[in-house]
Amino acid sequence: MTPNFFSLNVAEIRPEIKGKATSVIFDLPVDLAETFCWQAGQHVTLRFHLNNTEQRRSYTISNSPGAPLRITVKRVAGGLVSNHIGDHLKSGDTVDVMPPFGQFSLTPDPLKRRTHYFFGAGSGITPLFAMINAVLKEEPHSVAHLIYGNADGESIIFAEELHKLASDHATRFTLRHVLSAPSLWSWTSSWRKGRVDAGATKVVVTETPPLAQDVQYWICGPGAMNTDVSNALMALDVPANRIHMESFGGATVTASTVTGIAANAQVELGGATYEVPVAADQTLLNAILSAGLRPPFSCQSGVCGACKARLTKGQVYMHARMALEDSDVTRGDILSCQSVATSDELSISFDN
Amino acid sequence: MTRMYHRLPVDAYTSQDWFDREQRQIFSRTWRYAGLAEDVPEPGHFISVQAGLNNIFIVMGRDHRLRAFHNICRHRGTQLIRAVGKTQKALTCPYHDWTYDLEGNLISVPDEAKEYPDGIDKSCLGLKPASVDIWRGMLFVHPDPNPPSLVAWFGDIDPLLGPHKPEELVEYPDARRSYEIKANWKIVVENYIDVYHLSHLHSNTLHMYDHARAEYGWQGPHYHFWEPPASDYATELEKNLPTPRVIPEPHIGAWVPMLFPGIGLGAGEDSWNIFILTPLGPELTRVENRTKLANASGWEFQKQEWSSWSFWKDFGGPKYPDGDATGEDDPMASGDFTAEDIYACEQQQKSLTSPYFEVGPAANGESPVVRHQQAILDFFATQQAGT
Repeated sequence: MTPNFFSLNVAEIRPEIKGKATSVIFDLPVDLAETFCWQAGQHVTLRFHLNNTEQRRSYTISNSPGAPLRITVKRVAGGLVSNHIGDHLKSGDTVDVMPPFGQFSLTPDPLKRRTHYFFGAGSGITPLFAMINAVLKEEPHSVAHLIYGNADGESIIFAEELHKLASDHATRFTLRHVLSAPSLWSWTSSWRKGRVDAGATKVVVTETPPLAQDVQYWICGPGAMNTDVSNALMALDVPANRIHMESFGGATVTASTVTGIAANAQVELGGATYEVPVAADQTLLNAILSAGLRPPFSCQSGVCGACKARLTKGQVYMHARMALEDSDVTRGDILSCQSVATSDELSISFDN
Repeated sequence: MTRMYHRLPVDAYTSQDWFDREQRQIFSRTWRYAGLAEDVPEPGHFISVQAGLNNIFIVMGRDHRLRAFHNICRHRGTQLIRAVGKTQKALTCPYHDWTYDLEGNLISVPDEAKEYPDGIDKSCLGLKPASVDIWRGMLFVHPDPNPPSLVAWFGDIDPLLGPHKPEELVEYPDARRSYEIKANWKIVVENYIDVYHLSHLHSNTLHMYDHARAEYGWQGPHYHFWEPPASDYATELEKNLPTPRVIPEPHIGAWVPMLFPGIGLGAGEDSWNIFILTPLGPELTRVENRTKLANASGWEFQKQEWSSWSFWKDFGGPKYPDGDATGEDDPMASGDFTAEDIYACEQQQKSLTSPYFEVGPAANGESPVVRHQQAILDFFATQQAGT
């Protein structure tokens, strides 16, 4: 992964759900097409200079590969970047964008026959929407089921697009809306009132059991929903390697009592090796940035996976590790933005 | 000189060597039919099925996903695996109570400390995984945990099999039967796909369809076949169908494909049937038939029976009238096309061992027979290339 930014032109700005979210479509010059090639579910990092400081944010690409490069940004109350995008960004502007990356991705395969269950809430739909489109387009023998939670009918992102997918692919795609505060006057019919939780998860599996037996579960919503759904799946004996998860919006505050110790880290980055001192309870990422190095990073909350490195010696504790699967952790992958040292000698590499 | 029966030596139909080779290289290396999806309807339900040399165990987990394992306890190899317990979360072999979880991991060995004082590495003793999938309402198993995709295997033939949705139909239990034919499985396949014989052996049993207008061909090793209803049947088809429709109008005709190896389907306007062949020996084959009909009320079946009565009351009969029948139990006087086919297969098998047997020229309508023999040779060739 190259940590470089590229200036892209904004081709179109489109307000969604009455301006509470904004879709941004970028022009992709031909010579960047390969660099910006993405898998459904991956995200891009945008860089803005606002109030004299550099701001980086990760947004999921809300289109499947082959369609225009589009992100969909939900406004966060008081959010600096999301409101800047909603209020000021216009077509013709240029934005610094890092090429797509991320481990929460679905690679469709026309020869695979899978049953995909998608559990999402709010803006968590953005990677799922790209994945569902990829499956319906590129995996013709597979089936997709979406369970999508929102407050009410008005706040459903891509409501019309999803409705159209459900009627265009009636035999391969089912759509279930779960609304926590449905309006009496809304046209949206919800499958269930409440939240995408353990109860909903169990009913889904019984109502639409898998036909194709290669079953994959994709979960993308706030931390609490992710935990509920994945726990419910595990309680039904779903093996962990079939569950794929990304935390979105309302990030969980991890109340961690683990504190790190001071350490020396050998850091491999861009083909060179550096000695980096790590202070007690300083994250590896912060230590490396303080040493004047430029490692890849993005969300700094353990969600995006941009700062992933491989630990080859010593031990660290990760406050959060949403972006890693268990198998990644077993291999020694760490998120440098979430890691504090728990042994005094470390070796890590950003290069593999 | 080897005596030939078109593309294959006559031996291919009579010898134990050929039988063993087919078991090893065809029936143990392809997706095998294992039942209908409703045979494993709920979490905790399980079946086991013989697929060539492999016995494969299928169980549904509480996530409603099927798992398949080789039905061989990793202890002494006993084929006794079953799902137990209130939550059906465990698979066990009752011989010594070794217990596995639904991913096949060995989770408990009774009296472990006493019986294995030097320890036992349970992590290396999980059940060997196999594969299972559902296609057109049928269960298929493959002995390999990472098999060639069912899409790669059946994808090209799928659009030629008719608009039926077997998973929405209901089994008619009275039509379920299993019987043995004293003939090599390839003789039975060749009879199933021989277009020439339809108007002759079955001159008085299958003439509601127009064999002269049959369309047939191949996708890889799989044979597809469709023919329209004959004109007198078609004139008032909706009235003449014996049971309610299983496919929407205006679809008409009979789809009678033979998927490789030995997986026959027979589907018309009002029913969907399977015809599964299992070779039991060089000269013995088991046939399993199951039928699904429309998910309709008894009243609708009754109405259709009344409306079609006048067509069927005088339809069909024995191939030979009384005078030419050899006796009361002559299959040629049965008026039953299955009895006619079984008789033809068994009588053909008998002459293969005669030193005087010499095959005559294949007719146009027998081109599928020759093509199926080639499919066997081709499959062996790809197996050899792959190993």
